Amino acid sequence: MGAGPPSKRTSSAVSQENVVITHEDVDRAHDRVRVSAARAQRGAFSKLRLMWLLVGPGILVMLGENDGPSMISYAATGARFGIGFFIPFVILTFCMAVVVQEMTVRLGSATHRGHAELIFDRFGPFWGWFSMIDLGIGNFLTLITEFIAIRAGLGFFGVPPWAAVGSALVFLWLAVRMHRYWTWERTLLAIALFNLVFVPVALLTHPNWHSVGHALITWKPLPGGLTQDTLIILLADIGATVTPWMLFFQQSATVDKGLTRKDIHLGRFDTIIGAALAAIAAVATILATAPLFAQHMTAENFQGAEFAQALQPLIGRFGAALFALGIVEAGMVASVTISISSAYAFGEVARRPHSLNLPVAQGKSFYSVLFLCAATAGAIVLIPGLPLVYVVLLVNVVAVLAMPPALVFLFILANDREIMSDLVSPRWTNILAASVVVFLTLAGLLFGVSVIAPHFFAFLGGK
Amino acid sequence: MPSKGDGHSAITSSDQELVLASLEPDQLAGVKKPLIPRRHLSGLEKFIMWSLRIYLLFMMVVVVYQVWAGLH
Repeated sequence: MGAGPPSKRTSSAVSQENVVITHEDVDRAHDRVRVSAARAQRGAFSKLRLMWLLVGPGILVMLGENDGPSMISYAATGARFGIGFFIPFVILTFCMAVVVQEMTVRLGSATHRGHAELIFDRFGPFWGWFSMIDLGIGNFLTLITEFIAIRAGLGFFGVPPWAAVGSALVFLWLAVRMHRYWTWERTLLAIALFNLVFVPVALLTHPNWHSVGHALITWKPLPGGLTQDTLIILLADIGATVTPWMLFFQQSATVDKGLTRKDIHLGRFDTIIGAALAAIAAVATILATAPLFAQHMTAENFQGAEFAQALQPLIGRFGAALFALGIVEAGMVASVTISISSAYAFGEVARRPHSLNLPVAQGKSFYSVLFLCAATAGAIVLIPGLPLVYVVLLVNVVAVLAMPPALVFLFILANDREIMSDLVSPRWTNILAASVVVFLTLAGLLFGVSVIAPHFFAFLGGK
Repeated sequence: MPSKGDGHSAITSSDQELVLASLEPDQLAGVKKPLIPRRHLSGLEKFIMWSLRIYLLFMMVVVVYQVWAGLH
């Protein structure tokens, strides 16, 4: 994935028939040899091994998007509205995420280019820079909220804010110091699975499964009607599942991992598994905080891990600690994936080396961008008096608003026969993707109306 | 899983053979320099992209107003 003058890329690069081979290529080749070996063998075990070798970007992007602000949004949802409307709604948003992210798997596997690189090449720098500004601002704001979540989660255990932010930066540095995409991916996957810690927390609240099943089947209307507050939560929950950084991350990670056309079906499987796991964690979080709604407690003053404190009388110290750890994990994993998404995009646009297979000496700009973004976001979180939950919800709203323009780039690229040939999107994918764009745009416009003309919803029958 | 350690070890001829045999030509880091030709955007595509750009800018103003209103 690197670019730039070969002599600068690696001191030990060799040339054969005008092809420059780097350590990055060698690492990727080793991974592909194992994939080819697994594919050549028959039997259930070989198929499982092939699956194991090829999954990663999809699960990571979905569990990565179950980040600090997302989990806080889900917690606020459960505490304020219960389960009736939002459990089916959250599942729907993950279905939308699968439709959108599947396109990035096809694009990455077919073109072997990252999303930012493709946008610049195919649409030119004018549209490319628009796209990069959207991504840069969105990623930076989201990174701030990841550190808010980490600070709040560790705050439950009495860790001071500066130590929480510092430990997150150390975690980020250690995560990318592996200098090997495969090792990084497997390590982060193992950590990301901790996102499912919200499942035991939900079980500790003894959910009424009959009500959960009923909510899934009947999909009750929004409690209290459509108001500006419910709309913000609604948009925050959409922004908790579909955001621009996910497009850039999964396509670049697909390329960095070395997936090819043959691997697309397992790339889809990877994305679906990731969405299913993330949906389980999201629903579990709503279930976990739903008792706060049942007891008519307000969530307005709960900031991050204060949800854990509010839950403590219901689920005990152990359950509350698990909840707080879940918030910390969500923030930690996402701070890594979002920083990497920014660094990938920067490298692709600046045509600088950009791969997790690069040692620091050969990927200085890649690792510098990655770490500087995170460090700056972490420093901002230490500013006293920041309205944490408000910032978190608003960042998810901004993510939803930025999604339609990002999706149009993706939509056009995925239907671009010159780069995709026979892998262009089928008609049903186009219909679904267009529906997602229309849905997100309408949701954004509705939010705009609620801000500009707040009495409009009262006129429609809301409060 | 093979590791390259500090990444400064020399690339051997067997590494070269492995890379050339295992990776597709455009997967090599060094061959990505050439740009993919620019796409011709149709009138409808330009209209949609500009509309959504204006939508986004407008909505950002709305968000800023929302924050300002929230703080006051």
